[in-house]
Amino acid sequence: MSLWKEFAKGLWDENPVWVLLLGMCPLLAVTNTAVNGLAMGLATAFVLLGGGIVNSLLKNVIPHKVRIPCYIVVIATFVTIADYVMAAYFPEVHKLLGLFIPLIVVNCLILGRSESFATQNPVHYAISDALGMGVGFTWALTFLGIIREIFGFGSIFGVQVLGDWFTPWIIAVLPAGAFLTMGIVLAIFNVLKSGSTSEAECH
Amino acid sequence: MAKEDSKVAMVAVLTIIMILSATVLTFVFGFTKPKIDAYAAQQKKKAILNVLPGATKYKTIQKGNLELYKGYDKNGDLVGTAIETKGPGFQGMIKLMLGMNLKNDKVLAIKILSHLETPGLGARITEPWFENQFKNKQFNDKFKAKSDVKAIAGATISTQAVSDIIENTIQKVQKVTDGGE
Repeated sequence: MSLWKEFAKGLWDENPVWVLLLGMCPLLAVTNTAVNGLAMGLATAFVLLGGGIVNSLLKNVIPHKVRIPCYIVVIATFVTIADYVMAAYFPEVHKLLGLFIPLIVVNCLILGRSESFATQNPVHYAISDALGMGVGFTWALTFLGIIREIFGFGSIFGVQVLGDWFTPWIIAVLPAGAFLTMGIVLAIFNVLKSGSTSEAECH
Repeated sequence: MAKEDSKVAMVAVLTIIMILSATVLTFVFGFTKPKIDAYAAQQKKKAILNVLPGATKYKTIQKGNLELYKGYDKNGDLVGTAIETKGPGFQGMIKLMLGMNLKNDKVLAIKILSHLETPGLGARITEPWFENQFKNKQFNDKFKAKSDVKAIAGATISTQAVSDIIENTIQKVQKVTDGGE
């Protein structure tokens, strides 16, 4: 077990979005533009890191039976900090993401990493894991946001890249577009990863 | 877990974590609140002056149960009256700022502040061509989509919703001001 390995696994091999399929709710809800995806990813990464560190440090103090409420309170604290700080310093983005910031609390990715990794490992591994998962989540959300923004608005990060000839596919930025994009991207990644799946493996 | 957790420990740990959490949040809240309030006030001022062309400052007055903003230009002359209002749209509440000239009974300008309309369809109510068409509209106009209000293609309901909000608000304001200013 090395720190680098714990970090790197979140980027691809155990990517929270493409492999673990965790945190689907914010993913589907806010990735209609690249900047929304990026902001959501960074906010989630911050909470992952903060929650991971504190929960890892507290793992011997917290009684087993009440560990979930304890983890959730710690996570909710960091979410609220993120919420206030974004409202104060990035009000435009905060307005766009709206309700989905407080909802980071119930993102199963964060509680999942606290429960299954941070509280089972020393704190430096917890930091490494949280950073890896955070970066993995952020790039996945930004990537989906870019794709949906190109099709839905013809732009990337608000910069128009497609000319007047392009008719925006409104569906790409609607909720249905989230499912379509996610499904197609996931399918492509799975094909890339497995090379070719043989008939026998498909039941 | 081999050993049974003691009830006292459970209550104590939970309580301590809650108190720590509340303490941290109190500090963060105190630190960020001035910034959040300043932004809200600045946005409000921008919206008010936006719908009262030429106004450089405004005064808040209370008329009946309505909060009105009187805008004045740099010579101190009254430009018009603004009000923040809202009403149901296609998917959620549409909030807008409405600027009026109560002397001539006409709309000066409107600005959509927040909405939950469909992206690409109803959400186009924030586009300038849509907002600008309400400029100089007479209070006794029909405010009917596809008639005197140009509708957004595929979003007639959102168009009508904005028109209705404006029309209803004008009536409310006229009631409290009694036709005066």
